[in-house]
Amino acid sequence: MLKLSDLYLLSPELSLTLLALVVMTVDLFTKRRIVVAATALIGLIVPVALTISQIFILDFSHANHAFSNMLSVDSYAVFFKIIFLLIAVVMVLASYEYVKKYVKADGEFYTLMLFSVVGMMLMASTTELITIYISLELTSIPLYVMAGLIRSNEKSAEAAVKYVLLGAMSSAILLYGFALLYGLTGTTDLMGIATLIKNGMHTSNVITSVQGNLMELIAGVLILAGFGFKISAVPFHMWSPDIYEGSPTPATAFFSVGSKAAGFAALIRVFIDGGLGQVNLTSLVVVISIVAVLTMTLGNFVAAVQTNAKRMMAYSSIAQAGYILVGFVASFASNKSDGNAAVLFFILIYVVTNLGAFSGIIALGDLTGGDKIEDFRGLARRSPLLAACTAACLASLAGIPPLAGFWSKVIIFSTAWGLGLNWLVIVALLNSIVSLVYYGRIIKSMYFDAPLKLDRLKMPIGLSTSITFAAAALVVLTVAAQFIINAATPAASSLLAFLLGR
Amino acid sequence: MNIFTNDITWILLLPVIGAVGVYATPTKIARWVALVFSALVFALSIIMFFRILSDGGFSNFGDLRHLPDSFDALWINFNAGSFHFNIHYFVGVDGLSLPLVVLNALITMLAVIGGWEKTRVKEYLALILLLESGVMGVFVSLDLFLFFLFWEVELAPMFLLIGIWGNDAIKHGVPGRIYSAWKFLLYTFFGSVFMLAGFIFVYLQSGQTSARLTDLSTHLLVGSVQIPLIGVTLSLQLIAFLLVFAAFAVKIPMFPLHTWLPDAHTDAPTEVSVILAGVLLKMGAYGLIRFCLILFPQGAHEFSGVLAVLAVINIIYGAGICLVQSDMKKLIAYSSVSHMGIILLGVAAATGTGDMAFRMAALTGATVQMFSHGIITALLFFCVGVIYDKAHTREIVIFGGVAKRMPMLATLFTFAALASLGLPGLAGFVAEYMVFTGSFKIWTAVTIVSVFTMILTASYLLWMIKRVFYGPFNKKWDWLPDASPRELIPLFALAGVIVFVGIYPTALINVITPSLSQLMHSALAFVK
Repeated sequence: MLKLSDLYLLSPELSLTLLALVVMTVDLFTKRRIVVAATALIGLIVPVALTISQIFILDFSHANHAFSNMLSVDSYAVFFKIIFLLIAVVMVLASYEYVKKYVKADGEFYTLMLFSVVGMMLMASTTELITIYISLELTSIPLYVMAGLIRSNEKSAEAAVKYVLLGAMSSAILLYGFALLYGLTGTTDLMGIATLIKNGMHTSNVITSVQGNLMELIAGVLILAGFGFKISAVPFHMWSPDIYEGSPTPATAFFSVGSKAAGFAALIRVFIDGGLGQVNLTSLVVVISIVAVLTMTLGNFVAAVQTNAKRMMAYSSIAQAGYILVGFVASFASNKSDGNAAVLFFILIYVVTNLGAFSGIIALGDLTGGDKIEDFRGLARRSPLLAACTAACLASLAGIPPLAGFWSKVIIFSTAWGLGLNWLVIVALLNSIVSLVYYGRIIKSMYFDAPLKLDRLKMPIGLSTSITFAAAALVVLTVAAQFIINAATPAASSLLAFLLGR
Repeated sequence: MNIFTNDITWILLLPVIGAVGVYATPTKIARWVALVFSALVFALSIIMFFRILSDGGFSNFGDLRHLPDSFDALWINFNAGSFHFNIHYFVGVDGLSLPLVVLNALITMLAVIGGWEKTRVKEYLALILLLESGVMGVFVSLDLFLFFLFWEVELAPMFLLIGIWGNDAIKHGVPGRIYSAWKFLLYTFFGSVFMLAGFIFVYLQSGQTSARLTDLSTHLLVGSVQIPLIGVTLSLQLIAFLLVFAAFAVKIPMFPLHTWLPDAHTDAPTEVSVILAGVLLKMGAYGLIRFCLILFPQGAHEFSGVLAVLAVINIIYGAGICLVQSDMKKLIAYSSVSHMGIILLGVAAATGTGDMAFRMAALTGATVQMFSHGIITALLFFCVGVIYDKAHTREIVIFGGVAKRMPMLATLFTFAALASLGLPGLAGFVAEYMVFTGSFKIWTAVTIVSVFTMILTASYLLWMIKRVFYGPFNKKWDWLPDASPRELIPLFALAGVIVFVGIYPTALINVITPSLSQLMHSALAFVK
């Protein structure tokens, strides 16, 4: 039965879908790009307001289900929704000049982005396999198009084609995993799956325990592989450097934060809510740990030798995914929510700092047309604001104290240590040291190297807003880290609460 | 008490606000903004000084739990499994830190005046203010992790200040400013990694839920551990001491970790050298007394013999190298190494075995030396800066008889040199006399060797003064103007403080003594 309260639970996504349609329509009738961007920006107030109202109105002591358990608005979902809406706002601001200069298709760019954000928000808040899959496709298909939006550029077209092909393959793998899970349990509802895995499965009308059942393990690994593509975990990362480099930079920024955060949101939800850890835990933990180690190590070492800033950021985002996996696997292995709380905190900080760093790269592209690391040379003299904010964001990504990135690393590593994954933490720490090299190199060339040209760069207003916003948010998050921790802890335990409750 | 009604919070915040203000205003106003904010911080630190004095004097400084001026609030609180990660915003001043807070505020204010006509002056002054805030944080934090954070905060502005405004002369294939900035960064970072490891080690071993100094000082490390393979048994305190001390040893700098200092000094712009020598080196000595002595008294005691030997190497080796320097700034940089060795000697004596009164005198002397070396070296660097800004060289042999053209500067430079070599009646003498008398009873042989530094110091400084300012006049420098009134402000201000501390050291010693005697009695009393 459709209830009105169900619609309220869905209202942020609904209003965002409407907004995307409105932006598309407005674009048909006006040639002035500022109107399109302003519509998107002002329109975003509605879903943001609705999400914030949910924080205050809903009771998060239990999950709020709607549409026969397909939608589940718990504090975990709301935490991610806020992140995605934040991304949308920053992206609209940061992409304005770039879209004018290179993409020349405002309506399409903003509409696609908003549709993709709808998909991401749904990915965080569904608890049913088919809906998860559909939201994943809703997230991805706009991304494929966004990658190819610079129509005159071969690299952009190449990126789009690669993205479609590899994306299709990965969602097939994911779907295969889902199918196995459905075949084993006979339900697509995550709660039902968790219950059945716990109580034993139906095989030809006989209830058998699934301990040691190979199919469950294979399903888990396939699902990990499917989402691994989204979060660009090694060995499913091959797509990201090429696609990051070829795509329009705002789209790259969007992939690196939105797609990754959404991938993690769904991955954690499926693994924890679906109760996959109840059987074959050791094997799954080993697999995820190995993936985490590979992801960190390869990401960091290959990032250190890049010459293109976008490619470097691609590998850096791979490395960051590895750190996040450390927190997740600690939580998954110990069945405690602390690790996931650290993950949520980490993802929020990562999103803010990565958006800031990418705003810097977008600005560089707008102003000088380059995205090589050598194009950063002497930027501190040409545009002090841009250089200072980019440097702060990069230093935070490197985890240099006392910026917020240091907190997120301290928290995620100390949690993993406390939950008993000491060796993984040591690997992660060694990796963090390597990461200083490539982040430090950009900071060094911005501040110490002689500039290529001596002109002053004038920052467009949208970009200076978004980059200052990111840097300011960084400082605020550093000081107010406790508030985020306080929000992330119940959000993470809301996943587990329902598993432990029965 | 509210966090924003506490004056220490404002001492930390005002420079940051000032830095933003400097960035945001046009160049002409920006200088005045920087000056106003640095002066405000200085005024606030002086007000704090007199407020504590009128509120019952400095005798309340002993117990860190009940400092006359402190603030404590839980900042970060995160629990994971059995691991509690808590950071307190716990700040306060006592006899050890109050002089350094005042010193930092004073020197930063003078540095702003000194850097008035730099290129890209806005960024320069903004970074100096940020640096001030970071260093203030180091001096006032009483929570281990908060201290570590501020320790790192100071790195970034210093790195940029040396790297951007430094000397362009090529060194090892790269411009010297970049070489030295990286060297400074890597050395300090290398040390602070060990410090963090040591802090975490103490914190976990203590079993406390917070890393406030007051919590940990009542739960000292006990026991020892046998190192595998070599089979040596080390006490846990010694291990922790060595880990934490690594960071401070780099900063002080202690032989053999001192090599970053001459590079950083020669390549840094004048005001940055002044701050580096005047305040930043004190961070290491301060940390040694504040954290190592309170948290690992046993470890410090076990290490005191080695420390005494390292101190004498610092003192004599640093002074010996000064004799062969041809660059004025490098000479003063190495003289810092020598003078900081005296602090190490004082600490080594305090942790040694012997009469409490002498050990106390040595430690007090070391603390006074932190202050007096701060003002004397700052004055020396300012003097060199004045010459360098006009003549664009610091080579000693090129000059000669310059006093003819720069009488004012020559007088002040000579005055600074006399203060530095420990002329009675000036600040340097008080500290060195106290340290040497105190340590003579504890480490007799070491002290006898160290005292020869007085002769060495006199020879290198006076020899340099003679070659630069006196002797036959080099006609090449006929055009040199004397120091301008703006340049004279910091020189006279510092000279005044040097005379004051030299003639009436009691003012300073009264502040220091209550804290140190508490420290000696609670931490080091077990060493008879």
